Amino acid sequence: MTRNTEGATIVAASVLAGFGVTLVNFAQERSIDAQTALTFLVFLIGFGGIHLAVRAFAPKATPLLLGPVTALTALGFFQIYRLDLATESSRAGLQRWWILIAAGLACLTLVLLNRTSVSILRRYRNITLLVSVVLILLPNLPTDWGFPLRGLEVNGSRLWVLLDIGFTTFQFQPAEIAKLGLVAYVAGYLADHQRALREARRHIGPIAFPEPRQLIPLLITWGVSVLILISQRDLGASLLLFVGFVLLLYAATGTTGYLVAGGFLGLIAGVASYLAFDHVQRRVIAWLAPFEHYEDEGFQIAQGLFAMGTGSLSGAGPGLGRPDLIPNASTDFIFAAVGEELGFAGTVSVLALFALTVAVGLGIAFRSRDTFRKLLAAGLTFVLAVQTILIIGGIVRIVPLTGITLPFMSYGGSALVGNLILIALLLRISHEEAP
Amino acid sequence: MNGPVRRLSIGLFTGFFALLLAVTWIQVIHADALKADPRNSRPALSERGKERGLMVTIDGTVVARSVEDPEDPRSFVREYPEGEVFAHVVGYNSFLVGSSGLENAYAQELRSKRDLTISDLVTVILGRDLRPESLEITPDAELQRAAYAALGDLKGGIVALDPRTGAVLAAVSSPSFDPESLLGGDAAAVWEGLLADPNGPLLDRATREIYPPGSSFKTVVAAAAIDTGEADLNTEFPDPVEFPLPGSSATISNAGGGVCNDGQSINLLQAFVVSCNTTFADLSIRLGAEDIGITAEALGFNTEIPFPWTVPEAAYPVDVLAEDPAALGQSGIGERDVRAAPLHMAMVAAAVANDGITPTPYLVNRIFDADGNTVETFEPSPMGRAMAPATAEVMVQMMERVVTEGTGRNAAVPGVRVAGKTGTSMGPEGLPNPWFIGFAPVDDPTIALAVFLEASPELGESASGGGVAAPIAGELIRLWVERSP
Repeated sequence: MTRNTEGATIVAASVLAGFGVTLVNFAQERSIDAQTALTFLVFLIGFGGIHLAVRAFAPKATPLLLGPVTALTALGFFQIYRLDLATESSRAGLQRWWILIAAGLACLTLVLLNRTSVSILRRYRNITLLVSVVLILLPNLPTDWGFPLRGLEVNGSRLWVLLDIGFTTFQFQPAEIAKLGLVAYVAGYLADHQRALREARRHIGPIAFPEPRQLIPLLITWGVSVLILISQRDLGASLLLFVGFVLLLYAATGTTGYLVAGGFLGLIAGVASYLAFDHVQRRVIAWLAPFEHYEDEGFQIAQGLFAMGTGSLSGAGPGLGRPDLIPNASTDFIFAAVGEELGFAGTVSVLALFALTVAVGLGIAFRSRDTFRKLLAAGLTFVLAVQTILIIGGIVRIVPLTGITLPFMSYGGSALVGNLILIALLLRISHEEAP
Repeated sequence: MNGPVRRLSIGLFTGFFALLLAVTWIQVIHADALKADPRNSRPALSERGKERGLMVTIDGTVVARSVEDPEDPRSFVREYPEGEVFAHVVGYNSFLVGSSGLENAYAQELRSKRDLTISDLVTVILGRDLRPESLEITPDAELQRAAYAALGDLKGGIVALDPRTGAVLAAVSSPSFDPESLLGGDAAAVWEGLLADPNGPLLDRATREIYPPGSSFKTVVAAAAIDTGEADLNTEFPDPVEFPLPGSSATISNAGGGVCNDGQSINLLQAFVVSCNTTFADLSIRLGAEDIGITAEALGFNTEIPFPWTVPEAAYPVDVLAEDPAALGQSGIGERDVRAAPLHMAMVAAAVANDGITPTPYLVNRIFDADGNTVETFEPSPMGRAMAPATAEVMVQMMERVVTEGTGRNAAVPGVRVAGKTGTSMGPEGLPNPWFIGFAPVDDPTIALAVFLEASPELGESASGGGVAAPIAGELIRLWVERSP
């Protein structure tokens, strides 16, 4: 596959986005309007822009990554547009702006790294850590003070920051950007201390365990995750942070003990939070018995299952299902919405595209010779994969629902910005590590 | 370091595989159960909100239409502006209790073709219309309303046909129900209530229930007799008080209890005009089941009538009657095993009016698209000849005499020559089912009809076709002749 094929895939995915909008319009008995052309153009400019930036600044990067990502964004966008019509909101228009902004920032990432290399993230990792921690703590700002930057609570989670610049306000989830910084920091830290960490271990039976003092970073991360869980009442971000860190620690050292210890700490935090917080209890109840608690806790999951089951093999057709019956469909349950309207065919396609993206990401990690780049590529891919598995797993009832967004597909600007920058970083690593 | 990454990759792809299995379970294996869950409103909603075609009567009255839902502008609600009057004809399309009537029979035409978008695109590319098609139906709304009003609180059914074409001019059943009441969220409860109603409002007494036609069936027997040459107007019959049924101790007696004429003899015309039971029991046995059967079947008995819905077959069981002279005698006066819906008896009257040719009844005149262009027009061919034109001519004379001087005098309309035949059959608990079949105007018939009232305590035990059914027929004929150009 060449760069030109990548361009063709992006054009095809842009057509898919425009065509999806057309089909929805058509199904909703609307005429074909400017939405189709606008959507097509936004995808073409956004992702085509990244494509051109890759040509200019990372020409040796893998051509396999951008296509699936564009297709996933297109599938998500058409559902956001479709839900807009049913719920009389105007998220699709905003999401289009966010696509342009996120693509612009992804291009900017490629431009900036072109002058140096991703290794700059290793060199300045302490600054990255500081910025990331500040970003994570931003939502804990007071919600009602005079400062234009405030915390914001949405659906019981303190994940949002509100920027009030007088004539308008912006909302974003800083954790979506911070997760990149944290992965970069951990990758840098582990690359520097890899040897020491790997050698400082003892075997208990067949399992290698780290020296107790080497567990300190793990304990710190665990503590931070629990703090996020308590202060921001968000299961998803803290779980993602902790799981991502444990996986990266294992990847760097090959010490199985980190997985065991991480699993143990995760279990403690999970049981404790189940006992302590009723929002965690509600999630577990909804996970185990959604239909028995249909009227309250289980409603969203049950509706998601009804949506997917009704969609069955081929789906109701774009614009012809009722995904709007699922609460918060465009943020939390976009996967179920796709399942209703595009059916099993649609959900399998989405899973395949994510699996492909993750496989390409892991392939970049495998091929990297430089330890930092290898760990960074692996870490970024882990975060992407774990996030995908957690949210879809929550919808299909493999794990409790964690309330994180589905990468590329869910409505939400900060997530899209974070994930497209993540893709830009993977592309850059792929370029730098190309033979 | 690639070792741990590889092991983690296997873990992640195991995760993706688990997602795939779960999705397969939900969307393939378990999908039907999720679809059928009563809390899942999607399957019903997908049909409910869709636009359906119009149903318009021949005179332009809208009897079914879809209008935009005021609460959801992208969705439609079904309205039946004529309500109870057209309930059994138009039917209903309910997402909870199913569908009936024309809504059911023409579901394919009436529904919006807009569903699977890919196939929709193909349809559009082929130049076909996605919008629902509409029906122009044959009834005259004014006549239909009058017929329903005439039945009032009584149980019964009325069918009026254009004898020349078979077009159904009116088809009403009473009591009726409001089809819109079956469209709401409480449809199941309303449905249960209608089912439990002892008066059976859901029953279609015009076309989907069969009853003994009583003396109105004498029209069939007389036509068979004249057609075969067994008798003519002047053929004399004995005029006893009772006619003993062969091979049985039972007898047939007359409505008044006495003789029909002078106790000596009575000719066929007189017997028909006063509806003499003894004569027709006698004639029926003389003719035999086979000969009556041929005429009856040519008039629509023992035959599946092509109609938008399944019409129960009118029964004249030839084989049984050929073996049983007593039953044959009783069936000569439309009792025993003879059964017909008002639709069938209207066809009998229409055949006589139509020079002996039985028309095929039809309800839908044409199908038209959303732009009003005709998609399909129905011109049903007649079912066939039931009697010779000369026989029909004699039958017309006899039936006109019924109205001018016989049992059907109450059907007379000033200034209009009306022909008909009364009937009063035995209903449940010995109560009478009054009938009247007839047509008008005699020289150029434009309407043939059957009025049936179901036996009920409200109707009483002394009700007769001539007494209660004939006046209704006269009223409808007068209205129709006034409205006809």
